[in-house]
Amino acid sequence: MRVIVADDSVLFREGLARVLEGAGFEVVGQASNPDELDRLVAEEKASLVILDIRMPPTQTDEGLIAAKKIRRQHPEMGVLLLSQYVESHHAMELLGQSPDRVGYLLKDRFADLDEFIDAVRRVGNGGSAVDPRVVSQLLGRKRSRDLIEDLTDRERSVLALMAEGRSNEAIASGLNISPKTLEAHIGTIYSKLGLEPAVADHRRVLAVLNYLRSS
Amino acid sequence: MTTLQRRVIQAGMLALIALALASEFSVTFHLPESVSWQLVGPAERPWYSPLVDILPGAAFILAGLIELRPRTRVGLLMLGVGVGLLLGGEGLTLMLARALPPQIVLGAVVIASSVWPVVLLHLLLAFPRGALASRLDRFVVRFFYVALPLVSLLALAIMVVEPTFGIHSQLLFGVATGAALAVELAFLLIGAGLVIRRWLLGGRARRRSMSPLVLAMVPYVAVILLSLGGIVQYQIWRIPATYLEGLLMASPLALVAVPVGVWIGLLRSGLDMSSVGDLVVQLSGGLVPEKLQPALAQALHDPSLQVAYWLPAQGWFADLEGSRLELPTSDSERASTVLGDPAGPVAALIYDSSLRHEGQLAETAAAAVRMALENARLQVQLRAQLEEVRQSRARLVEAADSERQRVERNLHDGAQQQLVTLLLSMQATKAEALRRSDRATARLIDANMAELKQALDELRELAHGIHPTILTQAGLLPAIRSLTDRCPIPVEVKGELGDDRMAPPLEAALYFVVAESVTNAVKHSKGRRMSISLDRRAGWAAVEVSDDGVGGADLSHGSGLRGLTDRIAAVGGRLEVKTAPGEGTVVHAEVPCE
Repeated sequence: MRVIVADDSVLFREGLARVLEGAGFEVVGQASNPDELDRLVAEEKASLVILDIRMPPTQTDEGLIAAKKIRRQHPEMGVLLLSQYVESHHAMELLGQSPDRVGYLLKDRFADLDEFIDAVRRVGNGGSAVDPRVVSQLLGRKRSRDLIEDLTDRERSVLALMAEGRSNEAIASGLNISPKTLEAHIGTIYSKLGLEPAVADHRRVLAVLNYLRSS
Repeated sequence: MTTLQRRVIQAGMLALIALALASEFSVTFHLPESVSWQLVGPAERPWYSPLVDILPGAAFILAGLIELRPRTRVGLLMLGVGVGLLLGGEGLTLMLARALPPQIVLGAVVIASSVWPVVLLHLLLAFPRGALASRLDRFVVRFFYVALPLVSLLALAIMVVEPTFGIHSQLLFGVATGAALAVELAFLLIGAGLVIRRWLLGGRARRRSMSPLVLAMVPYVAVILLSLGGIVQYQIWRIPATYLEGLLMASPLALVAVPVGVWIGLLRSGLDMSSVGDLVVQLSGGLVPEKLQPALAQALHDPSLQVAYWLPAQGWFADLEGSRLELPTSDSERASTVLGDPAGPVAALIYDSSLRHEGQLAETAAAAVRMALENARLQVQLRAQLEEVRQSRARLVEAADSERQRVERNLHDGAQQQLVTLLLSMQATKAEALRRSDRATARLIDANMAELKQALDELRELAHGIHPTILTQAGLLPAIRSLTDRCPIPVEVKGELGDDRMAPPLEAALYFVVAESVTNAVKHSKGRRMSISLDRRAGWAAVEVSDDGVGGADLSHGSGLRGLTDRIAAVGGRLEVKTAPGEGTVVHAEVPCE
């Protein structure tokens, strides 16, 4: 899989490239600012861009703007946004209307390399990855009329994994349950929360996140 | 002029009028045989002679006595005209001639009747303040004070000594009367010119008071013109002399209108002065500084009038708001009067330059309100200082904010980035260890990475507390939502702040109000729920954080609320905390914004 890495720190880019190449990705270009990134995106036939939310010149949200631009102009390209802080606000902005080929992760997800590589792969293959911290924050949010409290612990774990953008298959194997049991859990969650029966696998991430943010 | 002097003048003048009346009476009814008629005029006096003799002079004297005031010369000038007119009268002359040598009486009559027209011109040019304004006016008036009596006396002297000159006297007399006529004509033309010039150049206020006097001169000028015309007609067509004589005799009667004009004119300018009086009355009722400028504008009939207060610390003039005002230069459309000691002025009035000649009125008005001006000036000074303090506080808060932002950025780009990069390189090391099947080292690295991640978490929280990046990145509402996402108590967020962002200092001030209030509520309120209301309308943005907890928050002791008050005040807003025991706590902050 061809990957472009964008971050203004060369040490970080090199480190990330090394980790990615170790996991079998092909890093076809490195950018230190949005302009270089633009050029690389146009020139290299990459299937994924990994970029930092803060980039020159103002070091605020240039990365987010660049990510949204790539999603608009190259829908076939995956975008994984990294940040030192994760905010549900940014996650929702990045996801926009479609959760396809998009990820938003905390920078220190590298601590668990397998998890990180899995997320990169998911985004590269057309899925989505939302940082568990965003999800846990939303899940942990106290609500005045809290339907989340009605969920069992197991159902809550399933909801969290769904919100992170994982497929049924991944959830089932991750929780060590059969696909049938998982589907029963999902059905219960939907009816308890009053959600519309789910769309295909990973696309439900938007519905779940929206639910968690709004209620 | 002291009161005594005024009394003496009044008594003297009234005595003069009485004397004139008495002499007219005696001339008309008890004509003494001994008096030589040849001295003055014809033997046959028209019936209205006493009226002509007394009325104009008495009118001027009476009006002059009424207007006899300390600081203006108008009254004295009127008296001058009146005395001149009376002395020129026939009855008085005859009366005086009984006691004094005829030459002296005649000389006095000639001087009196040639001086009063100059006094009248003086009055016209000095009206209504009583002082001659221009050097030209002063020169002309002084010149004719000397020239007119001089040529008249000369003509008289030649007439008196005529018999001794014999044949040459005719020519000499002709030359003398010609010269007198020329000077008189010059006087009439120059005088009229100066009066018209003064009227044209005067401002609105001066014309207002001058025009009744100028109008009152019209009958007299008309009679003079008719007389001149009559002389010419008499010389050329030999019209009956009685017409001309009647006209010349009656001409002083036309002057009676002048004291009336003076009186109306003074009344008008007196109205201006009395509006200054109103100003004083208003002041005694306690005039707030804001009303001072409109009151002065009204008193001086200039809506555009501005009061400029002197700020000694800054060394410039300022308006009531403390903004700097420049005094106009002498050639501009505006004029100014500085009040108080030039070294340490109190204030200045800036007004339309057409009021320039009314400087005395401006000064009078300003003198009347001096205490109020001083008071207002102190207030302006105080406001200017307060504004300075507010600005310096705002600068301090802004500096602190940008310092926080800088620290956060340094942490982010420095420590946080380095630690993350370290994580990456540890992953590479771990991969290397695993490649060499060194599981012990890999486990060690895992443990180190877990600790590193812990450090990163703590660092992240620290940096976020110093200055949340989402506030700068996405604005106040997302930042508040991010705050409530982490809050262990349910928080309802109501209201909107609009789509356009506010200025960073305002966003930061409101954000920290919400953050501090939420933290306080979580720590101390024991409340079960909170709500945050947002409101933004017509130049104001407001946030309100309320909880249903125990209330009674301590506002004095080391509470962050104190700092919040300063923060909000620094951006010109206000903070209100209601925290009655048992009724929860409500923190309300509002700031002015576009």
